[in-house]
Amino acid sequence: MDTVIPKTSTVLAALLRADFTTQWRNRRSVILTLVVPVIILISWKGLVAIKGGAFALSNSITIGLIATGLMGYTNAIARDRDKGIFQRLRVAPVPTWTIMASRICVQLVMIILVTTAVFIAGNEYDKITLTPSGYAFTYFTAIIGGLVYLSLGQMVAGLITNPETVNSTTRLVYFVFIMVGMFGELGILGVQVHDMEHWSPYGTVKTILAGSMEPGKWTNDTSIALLLTGLYAAIFAAIGIQRFKWNSNK
Amino acid sequence: MNDNQENILTVNGLSVNYGKFQAVQNVSFNVLKGEIFGLLGPNGAGKTSTLSALEGLLKPQSGSIVIDGYDAGEKPLYARASLGVQLQSTSFQPELFVVEVLELYAGIYGLTLTRNEILAILREISLEDQAFKKFGQLSGGQQQRVSLVIATIHNPKLVLLDEPTTGLDPQSRRQLWERIEAIREKGHAVLLTTHSMEEAESVCDRIAIIDHGRVIAVDTPQALIDKHRTDPEVISVSRRGKITLEDVFIALTGKTVRA
Repeated sequence: MDTVIPKTSTVLAALLRADFTTQWRNRRSVILTLVVPVIILISWKGLVAIKGGAFALSNSITIGLIATGLMGYTNAIARDRDKGIFQRLRVAPVPTWTIMASRICVQLVMIILVTTAVFIAGNEYDKITLTPSGYAFTYFTAIIGGLVYLSLGQMVAGLITNPETVNSTTRLVYFVFIMVGMFGELGILGVQVHDMEHWSPYGTVKTILAGSMEPGKWTNDTSIALLLTGLYAAIFAAIGIQRFKWNSNK
Repeated sequence: MNDNQENILTVNGLSVNYGKFQAVQNVSFNVLKGEIFGLLGPNGAGKTSTLSALEGLLKPQSGSIVIDGYDAGEKPLYARASLGVQLQSTSFQPELFVVEVLELYAGIYGLTLTRNEILAILREISLEDQAFKKFGQLSGGQQQRVSLVIATIHNPKLVLLDEPTTGLDPQSRRQLWERIEAIREKGHAVLLTTHSMEEAESVCDRIAIIDHGRVIAVDTPQALIDKHRTDPEVISVSRRGKITLEDVFIALTGKTVRA
């Protein structure tokens, strides 16, 4: 009997089921990822009147996207690589891209959940509502923004193999992004930091999210931020994919 | 499909490097259909590197690997589909139950098995009551049984086992040998790596002794003993007068302890 290669759709279905089950069993970290941006949004209630609903929502979603991409995805692949889980999958007749595609699909669902959680909290606590096109466009830009942090996470896992070092690095980057992002955006850290933050991966994602919430107010600045977001994602992903090792021992 | 009806695996002139270090140097051997073939060698001899190249985890610097007629370099997916693999340190997603791990691997080998069929497979290896435990909660012997059943779930023509009995107690080791025999009885060939002379003599039809990345002898265990019985080096390392496979192995690979 000739050897049969399993269909890619069958392989992906099996991987997706396992990866979604794994995510479901890690409910506590999922809830934490959803709760942190919601808490930040609620704590900024006073700022909504001053800076606008789009400002508060876009910052909160950005923080949620960073947690999803950097903390969730990166630490999971660093751990699975260290435990040899990827090696076991790779000896099966599966195209290697399906292993990562399945992981990324799970994270894309997380991005949708984070965005939805912030929208619901914004509506419940701050009475922030968007137009239907604003909601749809924001989901779209949240996925683009999320890809920046997923590719940043991929780069971290590509450059660092030790899972503990990956974990501490992502925590550090997460903390820096939140602090410099939030306070730099408010101008508390000075003009230079504000400008730097504006064109950083935090600032560009926040800008395109805010722009997509109010499509009528989309400016050249927002378009440049969208281009830069794509550029950041491409650079991080290129480095991350090129440097990624499937086995932490070699 | 097979270009050679006898060989299920043909390795020819295989070399694997880690940077400048040559882990495997010009290794050639073949595994016959229905044969249990052992790769025997001290630590760092190149056994796992050889296996990793066969599994597609390492890209060889040179040489060819043909599995069931498929060149592993040209048709890697077909070559891998013909293989069942148990890695040296197997780990599965720690969040998944045993039954879910089996469902995952059935799926990625293109099988559509129902939950009841999976449970029946677990029943065959006396692990049905462990189906809803996580892999890490199983004992070493139970983990080996699960790994072995996953390695053979798609009925592969060649099963690769990397040091399958390491860390097992004598009872579990004997049970695993019986399972390896049972794999052969179903028509599969088995290639295993081991440090254990007892394992090589008890289970393997033929063995290759590998050291410093080179194959230094290939034959049946008894033929190797007979061939080297009168070597002065073998006699000098023999401890109880009777020449054993271990004496031959020590004589061929040296007494130096490897890291």
